[in-house]
Amino acid sequence: MTLTPSHIIEYLFCPRFTYFEYVLGIPQYEDKNYKVMRGRHLHDERLERNKDYLRRRLGRPGAPVVEKLVDQYLTNAFLRGVVDEVLAFGDESMAPLDYKFAEYKDKIFSTYQTQLYCYAWLIEDNFDRRVDRGFLVYTRSNNRVVEVPITDENKADVRRAAEAIFSIIDRNFFPKATKAKARCVTCTYRNVCIK
Amino acid sequence: MTIWVLYDIVNDKARSKAAKRCQQAGLYRVQFSCFLGTLTQNQKDTLQLQLEELINEETDKVYIFPMSRSELQQTVLLGQAFDRKLVTDEIRALFF
Repeated sequence: MTLTPSHIIEYLFCPRFTYFEYVLGIPQYEDKNYKVMRGRHLHDERLERNKDYLRRRLGRPGAPVVEKLVDQYLTNAFLRGVVDEVLAFGDESMAPLDYKFAEYKDKIFSTYQTQLYCYAWLIEDNFDRRVDRGFLVYTRSNNRVVEVPITDENKADVRRAAEAIFSIIDRNFFPKATKAKARCVTCTYRNVCIK
Repeated sequence: MTIWVLYDIVNDKARSKAAKRCQQAGLYRVQFSCFLGTLTQNQKDTLQLQLEELINEETDKVYIFPMSRSELQQTVLLGQAFDRKLVTDEIRALFF
């Protein structure tokens, strides 16, 4: 069994989330959420449109974007996932690019960052190229592109989270809930969780 | 936050769908094309996107106004008025 970036994000939101969804198998009915479905639809549209568009401006000085790989399914020992775009630069480095059905409001949510860290890890394992940044495209803010730096520490954090998830699922372990009580207010599992 | 939704939509089908979306979001029907109720930021955003998809931008108009609770208490209601307390979720149970 391999995990997806969603598993990691949910685990970081609250370890109980992993328990309820993947040990007890209680679905969270994402497809009843209008915004989630609009976002999923967006990726199909992106694939059809502007297929050959290469984001040359995203490259560093002396290392322009030389290649774009669209809709890449990547996997390693822990993780699997589909990266919207993998950009290859002239200096042998690579970067993931992800489309978001969201508005940019002067801060990058940690969930988006985590997702890019996961992709960075996958790209390094599959292409054997260095990844030290990623990009987010905010389609509800006129397709604004935001660069996110990625360090080795970030990738190690994701790996640790993945190991923790396996330990919950493999041992049917009931973990402690998150300390951030504000998350409980909007959590899909608030009705079944022991406070 | 308290949200007013007012609209003028030409197409019959789109108009009844808009009404349905507003009611599904948990708003009260104050008048035929006027809704009021409390929504979270995310619910408001969702409703906005849903209505955006329904309307024809050339002919239709949709207004989404936020209002604070204290401002709602200052509203003037004449004739067949709605229940302010019901709209702001101050009434928790309808039967005692």
